[in-house]
Amino acid sequence: MRSECVLGATSDSGQEAPRDTWFLQGWKASRRFLIKGSVAGGAVYLVYDQELLGPSDKSQAALQKAGEVVPPAMYQFSQYVCQQTGLQIPQLPAPPKIYFPIRDSWNAGIMMVMSALSVAPSKAREYSKEGWEYVKARTK
Amino acid sequence: MSESELGRKWDRCLADAVVKIGTGFGLGIVFSLTFFKRRMWPLAFGSGMGLGMAYSNCQHDFQAPYLLHGKYVKEQEQ
Repeated sequence: MRSECVLGATSDSGQEAPRDTWFLQGWKASRRFLIKGSVAGGAVYLVYDQELLGPSDKSQAALQKAGEVVPPAMYQFSQYVCQQTGLQIPQLPAPPKIYFPIRDSWNAGIMMVMSALSVAPSKAREYSKEGWEYVKARTK
Repeated sequence: MSESELGRKWDRCLADAVVKIGTGFGLGIVFSLTFFKRRMWPLAFGSGMGLGMAYSNCQHDFQAPYLLHGKYVKEQEQ
């Protein structure tokens, strides 16, 4: 027995699904897409407006601006949370300021390594000659 | 190129790399959550794009030693 192809969605009981549910499902899907699209589009516009993916000057300026704005904002937010919740965040002692010039020590290290490599052959010849003289003197 | 200018270029390159990789990562998170069902590849793609753009900027900066970096200053109306 052949089964006939019938146009239109049917449920298990064989009745056609009402068109209102199609409209509702379509409306929900489009609403979800609009929300997601607006969030993603807003993020892309924010990146474009702040020129974060532009020349390196603009990126450096944006990073500097963020470094100036974020710590006071975090402090104000923590104060607001303390006021609303009544919690008292204990003040931590200031971290010790360590002055370690990475660039100077790196440059000094590179120069030391290179000078050591440049004098290594002559030093090796000198030490081996001294060692040989010592051994010769001992064996006499 | 003097050592101070070289140091400034390296600083600019590092700051640029941090910003671009972070931006690419952030955009990757947004697109992963909204359109790509929380997959990992948009994050990797965004971070890689940011790294590539930063590398390209740095390469251009170091290979063009006579290019000056200026700032726009607004004219004060008298």
